[in-house]
This record gives sequence, structure tokens and C-alpha cells, in this order.
Amino acid sequence: MKLRQIVLFLFVCLLSWQLRGQEEITIRIKEGMPMIPVAMPEFQFSETAAQKSEINSTIYETIWKDLEFSRIFKMVPREHYSYIPRFNPNAINFKDWASIQANILISGQLEITADERIIFSFKVYEVASARFIFGRNFGGKKDLSRLIAHRAADEMLKHFGEKPLFTSKIVYISETGSDKDVYIMDYDGFRPTRITFSSAIDMLPSWSADNEKILYTSYRNLNPDLFMFDIYSGKTELLSSGGSNYAADWSPVAEQIAYTSSKNGNAEIYLKNMKSGQEKRLTFNPAIDTSPNWSPNGREIAFTSQRNGTPQIYIMDAEGSNIRRITTEGSYHDSAAWSPDGMRLAFVSRIENRFDIYVFNLKSNEISKLTENSGRNENPSWSPDGRHLVFSSNRSGKYQLYLVDYDGRNVRQITAGGENKMPKWQKSPKSAK
Amino acid sequence: MKKCLLILVALSLILMFNACGKKAAKVAPVQEPVVEKVEEPTTQVERPVLSEEEIYQQKSLEELNKDQILKRINFDFDKYTVREDMKAILQANANWLLKFASVEVLIEGHCDERGTIEYNIALGEKRAEAAKNYLVSLGMKAAKIKIISYGKNKPLVQGEDEDSYFQNRRAEFVITKK
Repeated sequence: MKLRQIVLFLFVCLLSWQLRGQEEITIRIKEGMPMIPVAMPEFQFSETAAQKSEINSTIYETIWKDLEFSRIFKMVPREHYSYIPRFNPNAINFKDWASIQANILISGQLEITADERIIFSFKVYEVASARFIFGRNFGGKKDLSRLIAHRAADEMLKHFGEKPLFTSKIVYISETGSDKDVYIMDYDGFRPTRITFSSAIDMLPSWSADNEKILYTSYRNLNPDLFMFDIYSGKTELLSSGGSNYAADWSPVAEQIAYTSSKNGNAEIYLKNMKSGQEKRLTFNPAIDTSPNWSPNGREIAFTSQRNGTPQIYIMDAEGSNIRRITTEGSYHDSAAWSPDGMRLAFVSRIENRFDIYVFNLKSNEISKLTENSGRNENPSWSPDGRHLVFSSNRSGKYQLYLVDYDGRNVRQITAGGENKMPKWQKSPKSAK
Repeated sequence: MKKCLLILVALSLILMFNACGKKAAKVAPVQEPVVEKVEEPTTQVERPVLSEEEIYQQKSLEELNKDQILKRINFDFDKYTVREDMKAILQANANWLLKFASVEVLIEGHCDERGTIEYNIALGEKRAEAAKNYLVSLGMKAAKIKIISYGKNKPLVQGEDEDSYFQNRRAEFVITKK
């Protein structure tokens, strides 16, 4: 299977060495810190063949866009580099770079070997102190240029105390013609990979806590059944059938999932232990209860319930008790998504036939609106660092996926062609907590 | 003037004499040809009206469903209660189903696109269930009726107007077994 080969490729081909003999420095990002200005002059690049300079510009542009996207770094515009002498990696004049307001300087070097492998090395300096901060070397086959760039940008995050983001993936449903299938792609919309191939409708995919499995619902057995796909083994397992089974969310702390099932005659929320297979019913109301979403500490579940007449957002304990209502105004809310820092709930509200994404701050009780006057906006999902969301919108005519920052800024379309919906960003990696 | 008149009179006299001198040609009396009345052969073959039983016997499941033997019903926005004006359709469907008691049916619930994907699965299911319950109340065996929801995944028509929305808010009756 093509996907497995790509994954194996990554592990076999991608190397990362530490540069020896240099002490590494880590700087922490604090909330409210202004964005760090970063300068990245053109890479030192020996080859001039057209195809190879394409690789050079791909790596350069991808790192640039990643860092600019982060809301942590701010790239010093390239036009400003013309005010100072040309960059010489062997004799860096830090005063020059300070004069154009750069705090951090990235020096990159790219080599493409005769057998078409990439060797990319980059060194990062702190301008004010003229100090070397860290460096990395990456090697891989030339078709991995985007991945190498994302890995390099992730190293920048790591050295500022952040978890990796630019190698994260989004799972979603892509519809071409009558085919509705599960796909995964890089967070920036590149390198889509198809996961399901049945002619039946597939919908509502989501990630396991370790990002190694994908839960989704499929009508392939002529009923909306819940399945699990293991990315590394390539195996698909039926988890629940009988009634409708959908909208599954994997607990961040335990090997269990919450999901919606009408197996007992009405849409209710169930837990399923992924080790034992044992199930526990959480809701017992004759109204529709659906769309469960775990809090990052795994102790609470946000969900949608129609128990007061119209669909509203509620929160309950993981045991199903202590149910309290979150949304107070409006007659239609759904698709709650808990931010990774546990402080905010994103959800969709329908107001007079407009669908918009709102973010509710659980501490301050303030609500902010993320989308406005731009078609129908649905299925918000947070990035692992909580600074961004991905969502679907039909503002361009057809449903496509968009990224937006936590404060509504920097909306960016990341899919085109066909229709693309129901995105879920990978989960925050547990290990790097 | 007198000269012209003289010429005209002379011409007339000449013509008169010519006319009188000729013998009338013999003209056969025109006879109406006998038209044979050609009757258009009736190309319309008398289509025998098939009885309900014959339709049931002769048509396949696919054909029965394609011909919409069991008609669909529509629902109000955000609602899953059976509308008054849909009850007659359900009654007709029930009559047919009760007549052919071995038939099993699948009721599909559908929604228009003005809802979320997740919630519409549940709403579509409620619609299918409401249609089922009504059929059961008319005497149908519950075991013969299965339900499924497609939410807004399978619209009948594309369109962003009230009529399209109405057409998509529906329950479909699919015969699964004769």
C-alpha cells in the first residue's frame, strides 16, 4: 500500500544528526510576547539545474511560510535584506542584521548529491549576542523536500520550547463525483493521501490520541458503522454497528473513545474501551445527544443535546454526571471542539441560516466570532498548539478547507478541487508535554 | 380619335369571326376519381391495465423502487413530526404494504443542508423513525421495517432555495424484500 511505503520511506531515509561541539540554547515563548523577527537569507546552493533549484525554493518557501504561520516568528521582509551587504555564512556581520531589526538569523545550505538525495543543513544564530543557538542536518530523497523543510521549521519551534506543528497532518473527507473518502494531508494542504477506497459514503474521520489510527464512519455495509483504520498496519476494524454510529473522539488520557450511537433506538453518547471492547452508555435522555468531544485532561466531555428542545452545547463529566449547559443564546449549536489548553470551546452556531464558528472562553465566559459573512462554516478543529483552527466553508461556492488563527486572523484556503469537508487536525503529541 | 375607334371595331369584328369560326374542342367531363378511403391502422396497442398484483409479481425490486410504488414524504424545517398533508401518502403506502404482507421496507431519513453533518444524521433518523411509527400505527409489523439515516449526505436535488430544501427533507421508502 502506497501510504505504508511513504511512511517506511520517512523512517528509512530521513536522518537527523546533531552538530557536534556546540552548546545548544533553548528560549521559551511566553504568552503575550511579541513575535520574534527572523531573517533567512537565500540558502547556499551549489547546483543550478532548474529542477534542483526548484527543490531549493521549495525548501526555502516552505520554511518561510511555516515560520510566518506560527504567530511566534515574524519573517523580516526580503526587501530589507537589500539594505545591507550580501550574506556571507563564513563571515557573518551580525550588526548588519541587527540594523534591519532581525533577532534571529537562519543560515541554510543545500546540497543535492549525484544520486539525487538532499542534504540540507541550517544554523540558527541570535543576532544581538552574535551567538550560535543550534544547527541541524537533514538528509532524504529529493521528493521529501517539503517534509525536510517542515522538520527544519519544527526544530525552530522546539528550540523555543514549543511542540512540533509543521509536520502535523489533517484528516478529512474529500468528495469527487459521488466518491466520499477519507484522506490525510500535510497541515498546509499539500501531499494528500487517500485512505479509504470503497464506493460507499465515508464521513466524520478523527484521530486516535497517538495519531496512529483513524476512526471514521462508513456506509459500506449499508449502515453507518464505526470503523478504525491503523495507519501503520493498514488494517481496518469494525468497532460498532447497529443503529447509526458516528462522531467518535478518542480520549487524550485513556484507551477509550466517546461516540454517538443510536443502537438503542435514540442518538446517545457511549464510551468504548479500546482494549477490552467494553461499552458504557453515558446519556439517557430521549432527546438527541451527539458530537462528544473530550477535554484535554480527559475528565470532561463537551457534547450537543436537544434535551431543552433545540441543539445546545453541554459539558458533562467523563462518567456522564454533572451535566451543565454552555450555550445560552441561539437555537442551534453543534460540533464543539475543546482547545488543547482546555480554556476554550470552538463550536458552530446557526443563526438565521448562517453558519459561523464561535469560540467560547470557559474562564471569562466571553464569546468571540471567528467567521463572518462568508458562507456556511462548519466542523472546527484546533491545531495541536491551540493557536490555529481548520474548518470547512462553502464561501467559494464549494466546500473547501481553511485555516484560521485563534483570533480570526489569517484565513487561508488549503484545499481546492472537488469538495473537502469534516477536517480534524492531529492531536497534541502526549510525549512532548 | 375616330381612327382609333375604327381600328378597335375592326379588331373586335375579326376576333368575333375567329371565335365563331372555331369549333368547340371536345372536353371530356371531369370525373371525380374514386377515392379509396384509407383507414389509418391503429398503431396504439391497447395497453392492458396491470393490476396491483400483476405489477407486484412482474416487476423487480429495482423497478418497483424506481417507479416509486411507495411514495416519499417531506418534513418541515428542523422537524421530524409527520405533517398532516403527508398522512394520506403514508396511508397509501401502508395499504400497499399491508396488501403484500411479505414485503420488507427500508425507510431512509434525509435532511436539507441547513444543519451540521452530525446533527443531521440524528435528525434524519428521527424522521425515518416517525414515518416507521406511523406505518406501525396503521397496522404494519415493526419487524418488517428498517430505518437508516443519511443526514444531508444524499440530497435529492441541489439548490439553495426553499423548494430544493423542501424536497431534500424527506423519508424515502425502499422495498428491500418482496
